[in-house]
Amino acid sequence: MEMNNEETLLEALRNPHTIRQGFADLVAAYSERLYWQIRKMVLSHDDANDILQDVFVKAWTNLENFRGDAKLTTWLYRIAINESITFLNKKRSQNNISIDEDDSFLINVLESDDYFDGDEAALQLQKAILTLPEKQRLVFQMKYFDEMKYDEMSEILGTSVGALKASYHHAVKKIEKFLGEED
Amino acid sequence: MKSHFNKLEEIDRKRNPFKVPDNYFARLNEEIMNHLPEKEIVPPRTVPFWDKVKPWVYMAAMFVGLYITIQFLTRQADNDNVASRQSVVQIQESYWSTVQVTEEEFYQYLEEQLVEEGYFDYMYDQYYLN
Repeated sequence: MEMNNEETLLEALRNPHTIRQGFADLVAAYSERLYWQIRKMVLSHDDANDILQDVFVKAWTNLENFRGDAKLTTWLYRIAINESITFLNKKRSQNNISIDEDDSFLINVLESDDYFDGDEAALQLQKAILTLPEKQRLVFQMKYFDEMKYDEMSEILGTSVGALKASYHHAVKKIEKFLGEED
Repeated sequence: MKSHFNKLEEIDRKRNPFKVPDNYFARLNEEIMNHLPEKEIVPPRTVPFWDKVKPWVYMAAMFVGLYITIQFLTRQADNDNVASRQSVVQIQESYWSTVQVTEEEFYQYLEEQLVEEGYFDYMYDQYYLN
């Protein structure tokens, strides 16, 4: 979203009489992007849909706390990522997965999801991604699939550009290795 | 390692393997908006006139109080000084009214004593002859 549009949106969100319309514009502008971010993290469509609803309810109820220090996109992405991480932690706890183990259990979620129609290569790639630590996985998904700029990623994740580049590099190496071994 | 890299490159990253139900995004925004709780519109709070001027009134009252206190204390100190000076005079006056001789007679007596004891001659010798 352009800076001018963001300012117009912020003005609408600050006015009690236009706040609802302003928020509808915000949802229209960001819902799809946020959905895909969440979906790539939690894999299941139904879970992603529920989390997205929660993200916007959270944004709506905390709108007064948004001080404009960061961009609206950054703020919404942070909420979405935090909500997804909280969801995944709950799932891990339900499946008795320790912090050291990878999230391979999620592959069952993916295979049973009616809304996944990837071929064998896509499934292998998702399996490889699930072997990565959470932060590396996030960085890889944002860079590889969404081609997000490191600067934007740095604002959202609160990590330096250098560390993100290193993370992405390690992630690619691990995925290449995994795919090579699976061959 | 090169073959692994080629393996990753072989995957069409632009082809999204994740699907959504038909018309999902068309209905999504409306669904999200319908899920939002009502937000209570809080009218901007009008500050009563008294609340606006209250700090200034309190500050002015504090300065007035301070001024009055200082005035009171300095006047009290002046009064004490005057009173103490007056009391010395009163003691002196009351003293001479109680003794048998007058003040002039007392000084005359002292001078005579000094002459008799040669005090003036002694002082003259000390300061002018030495």
